[in-house]
Amino acid sequence: MALSKRQKARYTRYGVYALSVAVLVAVALFVDWGKLQNAMFRWDIVKEQFPRIITQGAKNTVVYTVIGFALGLSLGLAFALMRLSRVRAYRWFAATYIEVFRGIPLLVTLLILGFGIPIATGWQWPNPWMQGAVPLALVAAAYMAETVRAGIEAVPKGQMEAARSLGMSYPRAMTTIIIPQALRVIVPPLTNEFVLLIKDTSLISVLGVTDATKDLARFGRDGVNHSANATPLIVAGLVYLVMTLPLTQLVAWMERRAKAVGR
Amino acid sequence: MARKTRLVAALAAVSLALAACGGGSSSKATDTGALETISAGKLTVCSDAPYEPFEYQAEDKSWTGFDMDMLHKIAEANNLTLEVTVQPFDGIWLAPAAGKCDMVASSMSITPERQANADFTQSYFDSYQSLLVRNADKDTLTTIESLSGKTIAVQTGTTGEAFAKANVPDAKIKSFDDASAMFLALESNQVDGVLQDFPINAYRAVKQGTSTVSITFDQEGQEPDHYGFSVKKGNTALLDALNKGIDDLKASGDYDAIHAKYFG
Repeated sequence: MALSKRQKARYTRYGVYALSVAVLVAVALFVDWGKLQNAMFRWDIVKEQFPRIITQGAKNTVVYTVIGFALGLSLGLAFALMRLSRVRAYRWFAATYIEVFRGIPLLVTLLILGFGIPIATGWQWPNPWMQGAVPLALVAAAYMAETVRAGIEAVPKGQMEAARSLGMSYPRAMTTIIIPQALRVIVPPLTNEFVLLIKDTSLISVLGVTDATKDLARFGRDGVNHSANATPLIVAGLVYLVMTLPLTQLVAWMERRAKAVGR
Repeated sequence: MARKTRLVAALAAVSLALAACGGGSSSKATDTGALETISAGKLTVCSDAPYEPFEYQAEDKSWTGFDMDMLHKIAEANNLTLEVTVQPFDGIWLAPAAGKCDMVASSMSITPERQANADFTQSYFDSYQSLLVRNADKDTLTTIESLSGKTIAVQTGTTGEAFAKANVPDAKIKSFDDASAMFLALESNQVDGVLQDFPINAYRAVKQGTSTVSITFDQEGQEPDHYGFSVKKGNTALLDALNKGIDDLKASGDYDAIHAKYFG
């Protein structure tokens, strides 16, 4: 029996639908909802989390993220320009930095910089915010440098040539002509980088936390210890979503808009 | 009929095994494991290691330490081999219920909160809380009062953390995921002391030489923690085997030998 392409596609679709319904029904029937709610969503424990999960956990996560992002973007921009530089030493230095920090897990970078450097040198981090956010920024800078470089390279060469032929210096042309145009390309991926940073802050607690410096994930984990129940983790996860969803939606909107303008 | 014979054989095997551990020697007389474990033939143990001298790996990567030496013997007596799964201490007593391992052996104190979610063996070790400081501070940080304004490292979810919050209210308490991070923080001057069980701090002080135990909280009114192994709630077969194992080790003198090996 020969089926047309369209028929085949339709039957495949029906199959997927039927399978999805079967899985949903199976989940609904076999999961003990009362038990699930008791283990993961106890309303009294949910209420206990507020307001400190916001005023302490979420606040600290935002502080780490903002410091990490601001420092990371500045460094990332510098490394991007170095990679595009005509000076070979600059290019090599930037390329090495980017490869090293992209190649090492953030957790390892945090431990090396947070503990290793002070032990080796006797130098001390001025405060726990910097101790956590600077390693985050150094890793983010490596990723952002590549994003920024791609953005700058996406601006047609003619723009730089035109600016230089009008007598602008290279730095002036870069900052006033090229980078503003590159921003349109790089803002969506940089926003994604911001979302990644929000989530990456959950690793900082490996360096030790006090009540004042506890991030959102650590807050949820301590809640689990305190209540012997998974509810605080669910609440922490929801708070992360409250922070990240608007940003990912913003990125989607910017991308749609860029496409429309591009046409 | 076949069923009955098997039952008889199993009973015989169990009594043989029991007789064998009574003598404190291993026996390969039984081939049917009396204990059902998550991984056949293995006793899978969750432990927050390294936590010297209770659970750590020797040079040859074999598991050793006070807890592990006891468990090697208990596992052997039950015709099982010891398998260790390393897991952060935070909530570790829930791991057997989650199917990650058969039991927990992690210098874990028996507390009412933990007993609500796991079954514990009899206590096999008593330990007081203590404070480890850098050698430079060993003569100054000697009382709870002297810790006012200082930063104290504790491990998340431990009795040491609870003790510090209750008894050293004027210090800044900094929580870490594992013992190694606390020692790194002490070494890098990020904390002034590490508050945890005495045997672990004492072992560290001797091994490294740059730090000293300046306070042991064993005064009037301060109770020691009692270490126990834990299993999933309702796993009485394993719980009984472990309790019996501890009794047998004490009766045979093996317990004292292990104690002497690590604590002199």
